[in-house]
Amino acid sequence: MAKYILKRIGLALATLLLIIFVLFVLVRIMPGNPFPSERMSAEQIANKRAEMGLDDPILVQFGRYMAGLAHGDFGKGTSLYYGAPIKTVLGACIQNSFKIGGLAILIGTAVGLLLGITAALNKGTFIDGFCTVFSILGVCVPGYVFLIFLQYFFSYKIKVFPYFFDASRFLYSSILPAVSLSLFTMSTVARFTRNEMVEVMDSDYVHLAESKGMYGSTLVLKHILRNALIPIVTVLAPLVVDLLTGALVVEKIYGINGIGKLMVDAIAGEGVDYNYVLALGILYSALYIGIMLVVDILYGILDPRIRVASGKGGDQ
Amino acid sequence: MAQSVYGDGTTVDYVPTADDFKFLTDRDITTDKNFASMSYWRGVVIHFFRNRRAVAGLIIVGAIILLAIFGPILSPYSYRDIVSYVDETGKEVVARGIAPQLGLGGDGPFDDRIFLFGTDDLGRDLWTRTWQGARISLIIAFVTIFIDMIIGMSYGLISGYFGGAVDNVMQRIVEVANSVPRLVIVSVLAIFMPKGMRLVIVALLLTEWIGMSKIARAEMLRIKEQEYVLASRTLGAHSMHIIFKQILPNTIGPIITQMMFSIPTAIFTEAFLSFVGVGIMLPQCSVGSLIESGFNNITTLPYQILPPIIVLALQMLGFNFIGDGFREALAPKLEDM
Amino acid sequence: MKNLNRRSFLGAAGGAASLFLAACGGGSSSGSSAGGEAAADGKNLGVMLATNVMSLDTNLATDGDSFEVIADCIDGLMQMDADGAAIPALAETFDVSDDGTVYTFHLRDASWNNGTPVTANDFVFAWRRICELAGEYAYMMDEIGNIKGAAAIIAGEQSDTSTLAVTAVDDKTLQVELEVPVSFFPSLMYFPTFYPINEEFYNSLDDGTYGTSPETFLSCGAFVLSDYLPGTANLTVTKNPGYWDADRVKLAGITYQVVGSSDNALTAFKNGSLDVAVISGQQVADAEADSELSQNLKVTGAGYMWYLSFSQTEKNAQGGMLGNQNLRLAISNSIDRESLVDNYVMDGSLATYTAVPPQFAASATTGEDFSGDQTKFADFIGYRPEEAQAYYEAAKKELGKDAFEFTLIYGNNEGDEVTKVAQAIKEQVEGNLAGVTLNLQGMTKAERLDKMQNDNYDVALTRWGPDYADPMTYLGMWITNNSNNYGFWSNAEYDKLIADCTTGAYISDYDARWQAMYDAETLVMQEAVIAPLYTKANANLISAGAEGIEFHPVALNRVYKNATLA
Repeated sequence: MAKYILKRIGLALATLLLIIFVLFVLVRIMPGNPFPSERMSAEQIANKRAEMGLDDPILVQFGRYMAGLAHGDFGKGTSLYYGAPIKTVLGACIQNSFKIGGLAILIGTAVGLLLGITAALNKGTFIDGFCTVFSILGVCVPGYVFLIFLQYFFSYKIKVFPYFFDASRFLYSSILPAVSLSLFTMSTVARFTRNEMVEVMDSDYVHLAESKGMYGSTLVLKHILRNALIPIVTVLAPLVVDLLTGALVVEKIYGINGIGKLMVDAIAGEGVDYNYVLALGILYSALYIGIMLVVDILYGILDPRIRVASGKGGDQ
Repeated sequence: MAQSVYGDGTTVDYVPTADDFKFLTDRDITTDKNFASMSYWRGVVIHFFRNRRAVAGLIIVGAIILLAIFGPILSPYSYRDIVSYVDETGKEVVARGIAPQLGLGGDGPFDDRIFLFGTDDLGRDLWTRTWQGARISLIIAFVTIFIDMIIGMSYGLISGYFGGAVDNVMQRIVEVANSVPRLVIVSVLAIFMPKGMRLVIVALLLTEWIGMSKIARAEMLRIKEQEYVLASRTLGAHSMHIIFKQILPNTIGPIITQMMFSIPTAIFTEAFLSFVGVGIMLPQCSVGSLIESGFNNITTLPYQILPPIIVLALQMLGFNFIGDGFREALAPKLEDM
Repeated sequence: MKNLNRRSFLGAAGGAASLFLAACGGGSSSGSSAGGEAAADGKNLGVMLATNVMSLDTNLATDGDSFEVIADCIDGLMQMDADGAAIPALAETFDVSDDGTVYTFHLRDASWNNGTPVTANDFVFAWRRICELAGEYAYMMDEIGNIKGAAAIIAGEQSDTSTLAVTAVDDKTLQVELEVPVSFFPSLMYFPTFYPINEEFYNSLDDGTYGTSPETFLSCGAFVLSDYLPGTANLTVTKNPGYWDADRVKLAGITYQVVGSSDNALTAFKNGSLDVAVISGQQVADAEADSELSQNLKVTGAGYMWYLSFSQTEKNAQGGMLGNQNLRLAISNSIDRESLVDNYVMDGSLATYTAVPPQFAASATTGEDFSGDQTKFADFIGYRPEEAQAYYEAAKKELGKDAFEFTLIYGNNEGDEVTKVAQAIKEQVEGNLAGVTLNLQGMTKAERLDKMQNDNYDVALTRWGPDYADPMTYLGMWITNNSNNYGFWSNAEYDKLIADCTTGAYISDYDARWQAMYDAETLVMQEAVIAPLYTKANANLISAGAEGIEFHPVALNRVYKNATLA
């Protein structure tokens, strides 16, 4: 296993390098300008491009960027928060997004599992129907619409929670955005849990376990849920990455400086900010690759028969 | 034929007799006579139509399709008509922000007109626009089903089945495809092809299959080690036969569930792409873009956001019922036969 | 200009006087704060920002929100009074040479909030750095300010910044030499680009950290930065006790909150989370209908003008169809601008029929608004469907075509009303001119600019805000080969008129210059080089206790030095 993990980490670094290169090239082809301006003369802009080395061959530029990256230098923004090092801006955004996203994942997974298990154990009843409708609404109503209602009710009508995000009162002011962000995860987890459990509950080995006299929570947790977890973990993994990397509209509405807004501002803001797009792209892909590795390892733990490392079943 | 191995290495053939086996329960085991003579797919269809929820789902989706086709045609307004009149001072007065009304008459200039869903903030009839938008969203939904079923599922199943180096390469490709921000890919694509619905579909084709492929792969990893697959392989069955004929039917549950979640995601992706200017052009609309524009006035004109959300939710409810119906019909063990 | 003038100036001149309140009472309770803590002697004023502050470095900042916060914390040589006139700030007095090309500013005793006095060298350092960095607003140094030596440094031809003709004669005397007399030079001095930076402090910081936190930023203005981080959605400034004019400042501080939507701004205001909010569209109609909220509503002009730019070259997609003057006139005359502002923009914006918008440039001799009379070009522009039809028929004959298809590009990240206006224009033009198809294409503002600058468009919905209070801030755009001349229009007579006004014959004859600018504007309107649409206003909600906030169309949108919060 350790050998497998080491191999995967090596591959992950190679993949990351490829991603950075692809992004590096694509972002330079994008329409828009790293130095958007209505007042600079053509030669001023040309000077700025030359200063940033944009006239050099792409491989030279890439080499220079990677050399900077090796020293932890992401460069500076050109059309976004110009003048300030990207590290400073990104640091604060990562903190906020990770904390709020993390909270949303916790709420979404916990409530989703609970809802799904309850629905599966009461298949065909009102609770099951409620779970179905809830899951459908949860994916059809965007989280930011839900946030507006929460904000209107809890911050404006009854003033329990602050109206805007306040980093100094972190937990208190993160509850509304985290709950609204968790809605999609909650619905997905609830639906998958319910459907998987219903299927597993009907399988031979559960019947066998039942006939051996197993019942109650031991049966649910040890046999049914564990076997239902593989698809749940699979759908949850990309949601975790998405939640950790922020959500544009929720951040805009609640006044959070997070990664989601930063990304859209970098690509579709005043200009196209090459350095920000790259820094955020690296962050996103590193997270994604890392979590996918964790998922592959988790498969083996959840179901020891699964060996991701091996080839065609039973070949080795 | 079983063998018994003794400590000294000698083996003796053991021939089991009928006395070695007996029924654990005295449950009456009957053989199914109704379905045994029927082809598999005919059975699926019969199961499906016996399922009341599945039929309800069909009716809901059918109704939405009909309304999407005929709603705009039957309306006196087109999706882009701004309803207005010029008052005595020569000023144009626009019927913007009107709440749903039946046109029963009143003092206002537009009180005698029927706006079942009200009007938007440009003075356009939301009934017409909602059904016009439903057309786009239905197309997106069917495209997504296609992408999920054809690309996502096959990719995941193949990657999971062959495992090892094949899986490794295929999964690294997924990581690259998923890591480049969609907005960057689409902006670059927009240089090479005209903006509009086609570009949206290409954008969906590029990344929408990833979620499904992950689910299919996970299911494959779980199932491929099971005895019946090993048995098939031992018997020399072709890989593609094993993947699509033997394993696929057993993965259908999570695949249908996943599909239900990828449709709304795709619908909102279309709305986002249209918002940033690479999707459909205004004044065209989709359910996703109607939700986004309704959001701008959510506390002042809350009814604007309701029709598109309700249409989307009903559409998804219908798809879910149909999906569940299919799953239960395909794997009849869930049904009490 | 970028986001400059998101907030606004006083639409009605009368309001200005009433806003200029004599100081009365300190800050007290009520009001609100958007998350930040209140200072000891009262609550902070909660103010909405529409976008994030991009930079607090005066030499790099380009947007109105950044300029506003900078001006809270740093003073220039001059400042704006409630009416927008330039009055002394860090400069106690100044002298001008007889030929109008040498300005000598005499600084008052003022100090930075680390105790160092503000000296003439702080200006020399900052101004040299603007030219060296050669960013967006460097053009204020050469093209607008005409400071000797600036152009060569900005173009990168001269690397020795000491060639800039700005000298610290002594600690308290700053001398500036200009290429030509610039009548409005003192009024440029309140523009944040010209504010000082302390050289010693700047050099003590790590590269790239100036202005990125309260610790790396020095104030010499009414407020000091107390809570800020680049990219933050909320920031706080608190009263600067060491400010040279500290007696005048009554606010304990200001808490800024970035608010992303008009709908959210309205609820936040009702909730008391904001004392100053800007709303638009449907929310304005809502506030007007509400008996309480309508008391808080105050419409102020925002300065910038939205207009349609027509690409007139062969290069664009339509092969120069819009180079036809009659076709441009037909489009311009088929647009109902009153309907646009009444039904879609809805925040008090003014329908505009002049190339230079009203309400920002008044004559120094007569006091008359340059474009106060919006009917001055009624022969060429207005909502005149019949005349539009006549122009259209003429154009069809001249071009030998009877159907035209154009694409109108607009920025979809430039405000909700822009999207609405684009759709309304499509309906109006297509409704009035049978055979014209106007396809809409939304894109980011950056992409729109890119397309316009490379002449890769037909019609664009674009805007320009005044950088300084003179009609030339608009008229300068349409000279041949100017980078903001997006129509690529060229007229020798126009070029000569503008040259005479900026560097030639009329430079020292104020009234003749004023008349020449009117003649130049006439040419633009006669040929429908652009189709002006509306001059943006802001519908502000201001809480009952907050008074004395000064609104301006140019440079600084909102000034709080005289504001009070009861």
